[in-house]
Amino acid sequence: MSRLIIRKVAVLGAGVMGAQIAAHCANADLPVILFDLPAGEGDANGVVTKALAAMKKLDPAPFAAKDRGRFVEAANYASDLARLGECDLVIEAIAEKMEWKLDLYAKVAPHLKPGVVFASNTSGLSIHALAAGMPEGLRSRFCGIHFFNPPRYMPLVELIPAAETDPAMLDALEAWLTTRLGKSIVRAKDTPNFVANRVGVFSILAVLHHTARLGLAFDEVDLLTGPRIGRPKSATFRTADVVGLDTLAHVVGTMQATLPNDPWHAYFESPEWLRALIAKGALGQKTRGGIYRKQGKQIQVLDLGLQDYRDSGDEVFPDVDAILKLKNPAEKFAQLAAHPHPQAQFLWSIFRDVFHYCAVHLGDIADNARDVDLAMRWGFGWAQGPFETWQAAGWGEVAKMIDDDIRHGRAMSNVPLPPWVFERDGVHAPEGSWSAAQGALKPRASLPVYQRQLYPDRVFGEAPDDRGETLWENAGVRLWRRADQDARIGIVSITSKMHAIGEEVMDGMLEAIAHAETDLDGLVIWHPAPFAVGANLQQVGEACRAGRFELLERMVAKFQQTSMAIKHAQIPVVAAVQGMALGGGCEFAMHAAHRVLALESYVGLVEAGVGLIPAGGGSKEFALQAHTMARRTAGGDVFPFIQTTFQTIAMATVAKSAIEAVELGFARASDDVVFNAAELLHAAIRRARALAESAWRPALIDSAVKVAGRDGIATCELMLVNMAEGGFISAHDYRVAKAAATALCGGEVNSNSRVGEQWILDVERAQFVELLKTEKTQQRIAHMLETGKPLRN
Amino acid sequence: MSKQIQDAYIVAAVRTPVARRNGAFRHVRPDDMLAAVLRELVARVPNLDGNEIGDVITGCAMPEAEQGMNVSRIGLLLAGLPDAVPGITINRFCASGLQAVADAANRIRLGEADVMIAAGTESMSAMPQIMGNKVSLNPEIFAHAENVDIAYGMGLTAERVAAQWSVSREDQDAFAAESHRRACAAIAAGQFDAEIMPYAVKSWLPGEGGTVRIAERVLSHDEGPRLDSTAATLAKLRPVFAARGSVTAGNSSQMSDGAAAVLLMSEVAIKRYNLAPIARFASYAVAGVPPEVMGIGPVEAIPRALRRAGLGIDDIGWTELNEAFAAQALAVMRQLDLDPVKVNPLGGAIALGHPLGATGAIRTATLMAAMQRDPGLRHGMISMCIGTGMGAAGIFERV
Repeated sequence: MSRLIIRKVAVLGAGVMGAQIAAHCANADLPVILFDLPAGEGDANGVVTKALAAMKKLDPAPFAAKDRGRFVEAANYASDLARLGECDLVIEAIAEKMEWKLDLYAKVAPHLKPGVVFASNTSGLSIHALAAGMPEGLRSRFCGIHFFNPPRYMPLVELIPAAETDPAMLDALEAWLTTRLGKSIVRAKDTPNFVANRVGVFSILAVLHHTARLGLAFDEVDLLTGPRIGRPKSATFRTADVVGLDTLAHVVGTMQATLPNDPWHAYFESPEWLRALIAKGALGQKTRGGIYRKQGKQIQVLDLGLQDYRDSGDEVFPDVDAILKLKNPAEKFAQLAAHPHPQAQFLWSIFRDVFHYCAVHLGDIADNARDVDLAMRWGFGWAQGPFETWQAAGWGEVAKMIDDDIRHGRAMSNVPLPPWVFERDGVHAPEGSWSAAQGALKPRASLPVYQRQLYPDRVFGEAPDDRGETLWENAGVRLWRRADQDARIGIVSITSKMHAIGEEVMDGMLEAIAHAETDLDGLVIWHPAPFAVGANLQQVGEACRAGRFELLERMVAKFQQTSMAIKHAQIPVVAAVQGMALGGGCEFAMHAAHRVLALESYVGLVEAGVGLIPAGGGSKEFALQAHTMARRTAGGDVFPFIQTTFQTIAMATVAKSAIEAVELGFARASDDVVFNAAELLHAAIRRARALAESAWRPALIDSAVKVAGRDGIATCELMLVNMAEGGFISAHDYRVAKAAATALCGGEVNSNSRVGEQWILDVERAQFVELLKTEKTQQRIAHMLETGKPLRN
Repeated sequence: MSKQIQDAYIVAAVRTPVARRNGAFRHVRPDDMLAAVLRELVARVPNLDGNEIGDVITGCAMPEAEQGMNVSRIGLLLAGLPDAVPGITINRFCASGLQAVADAANRIRLGEADVMIAAGTESMSAMPQIMGNKVSLNPEIFAHAENVDIAYGMGLTAERVAAQWSVSREDQDAFAAESHRRACAAIAAGQFDAEIMPYAVKSWLPGEGGTVRIAERVLSHDEGPRLDSTAATLAKLRPVFAARGSVTAGNSSQMSDGAAAVLLMSEVAIKRYNLAPIARFASYAVAGVPPEVMGIGPVEAIPRALRRAGLGIDDIGWTELNEAFAAQALAVMRQLDLDPVKVNPLGGAIALGHPLGATGAIRTATLMAAMQRDPGLRHGMISMCIGTGMGAAGIFERV
């Protein structure tokens, strides 16, 4: 397979999807030209520049760093089509109107570069019909490329080939999307709404139907269809508000128009109340009102009985809640089906009908059951897809229950389950997943790109992953290796809850490093997200309550010792960061010889939130950074480099991407940013090996670090005095921030004087312990342990 | 009374337009601005022998970096004044430009010179931080409670003044809106035209094929005043210096870039050059107040300056009161019972901008132009509050 070279991307259409796809390409260091119609007046690129400006205000942010927008150039169809010749990949993302798309294709075709990949982000139109609109020579380079909203965050991209699409091109594109953009690919068939939306929208329709049938309230249904059943917090109706009620109605309309023979066709209709809301212009979040609305601070929900909004705040029936908490899925489903409460009946019904729908349609819409399950996880944020949920609950038992409901007219459709359902005891097996179309188990794709994923998302019933060989372990960490990858690169994984760093983790880390120093060539700190949420606050809180400050002092000293062991190990230590790396977790990562970070890493020193400062070497690392950077300036003054860090730490700012982590100084420009978290371990092992093979040496401990000292602390206080006097921060915020300033500035010594690293560690530790002794910091810690939220006091 | 041997007179004054921070003068150097106004000033007195200029005293509130290295001397050399002309840069923060006029006058009054130039230049665009390129505070400030207000930001002091002298948010916004209204009307009526020298801003831009393209754009009017700054639009802004405060970006002075120069002479020199003086420099006073209410400074300085000039407040027909903040300007006006009609008739710093150390010299140019327009105007005054708690006032008398 030849490499797909994509130097520049064009995105046609600066709507919600087009603009955000462009933004994500820019995140991946790809220059992008974003096209839309020429503006009626003013700047001809006005439509695009407005879309780019609007993206800066979106939360979650499409751009992984503030100034990434500069890699997206604005263009318009009237004057800039010739520039398409610069682009190797063109993604069309205009409105879902067949004739508009075909018009545009005819217009752009003459300007395309030979060998271009041209793909449509359509979510519902036929890829074959669109391909027919391309000039013949281009058809082999055309396919569907269906991103999910928001494209930076939703992993799924459905790739849909047309009849003439070049299979080698499609493989190369799949590999590129996987590694470069970090997406998770499902190959879909060219059927209406493809896989995820076909199942996902049906699931919404089933929820709508059973909500009405059982007379449930919308907020009640959202409680039932959210995290309790492994789906996103926004559940069903709040998701509909976010997506836009008009968009939802449109997608339902597409199903109605394009699937006349679907046995569930009668349900492909927007309910009366939904049409009424749309007619009123209440389209959801974008119009500040839909199924939900906000009245002041109160969230209100539409109540069909009252024909008006009421305060939201329904509850789950205790019996039902108890059933949902059952660990055994077989029991859970049996009890839901048997319980008479409408909430239980509702839940069983929505699962049953989605299972039924998926079983009947598996053969037409997807290659195999794994693709359906993964599509629902990656595109809709479900913890488990429909088939694996069914299989986990006992395939045969559940099949019987569904069949029984079909026979008794309780299911939404009376179409029978396909015969294969009864001939099998599941759809996922170690050899592969069931393909209804081919009547066989299909293994995972064998593209080379997937060899980079050592621990891909697995569906229930698949072969278990190779857990590697354990070399050593204690209660806090496991040292192991994957001999098939690199027998002399160790992997140390934190095994505590949320990967919080307590005594046993520090002991384990020190021991693992000692092992690695004698027996291995390098060490990777890796485990699934989060990287680490910080020090074990429970242990800190207990010692505080017992007044054992000498113990706390020793704990902090050990933390510092561990950080220093990571940094000064005789083998390179690579931190493989994904998800949250906060507080002590951030400090461990900062001390590694090198960091490999998944794009979606959330890194920060957030100690201020619990009334503390970074004292696991984090303040010292920033003082060192300032020292190093100041050497490049004419005056050599370290304070300017402390000032920005001081604000970051005083405000407990968290980097919202790996790229931001570099900008804020938690990581370095020379670190690796990996777009696909599934490739993180692979990259980290390779990086550790590369360091071990090249000229890497452990860092020296500097005995003459230039620090900002007394004047630096005073200058930080300038900001604090004004914020405190202006009523923006509390007296304790001031105290905590001053402690941070003191540590960052290397203590109350002469400005620009030189101290050893150990001195700075001593200063940060002393400041930390002093703060622990204050009542307000103790209150903050207790509050965080109780509520999980910071206390402002 | 002062022990002077002769009077000092203002014979000419000129200024640049005032540009918003990071506006038209974003890339204009403050030493270039100074050179430009000095060149224009001497050009307006064609027969002046440059060698007779006793000194060029330039006010600058952040005399460092682009405006460091004794910007006064550099500016006058760049302007092409003779090597024989000395230059000194002085700093009294926001009163620096007025202090320069007073110091220049004093040299003449003492008989040490007959021809003097006072100037002011400030580029706030050139300053990466409001407090200068390298901010460094003395730890002693924070070690003693009574020193802490040295560290108060100017906006915070304005909040303190608003609270202590009960100046409401509504009054501040109304005052700010009126400043814009007056400034816009004055620009439309051409009332600044005589004092402003249009400034040709040169820009060096990347051009074709590795060549640098030099673009030129002339700024003739102050950039700050906005017709759309009404009490209603200003009311929407959030307080920036205190969580529950009343001081907003809209009722504070604008950060700006600009320069001005003033030519002063003794009677002897005026006769020799056969010139008509505009005004006599009548008196000057500075006074200290607590740093936390620095905005109230003029309340102490104005009565002293009046006393020294032997005048009462009603004798002053035109006052240029620097609007550092609407809160302090209103507090000062109420404390001293100033007539709002006579204060900042052409708008103030909220609309026109406040390039710190240049403002005193700039407003001298404005007052001189007003005196030249209106023969009935006998006395004018320039006053401002000063960071870390001071006030300054200077009085000018028609000859």
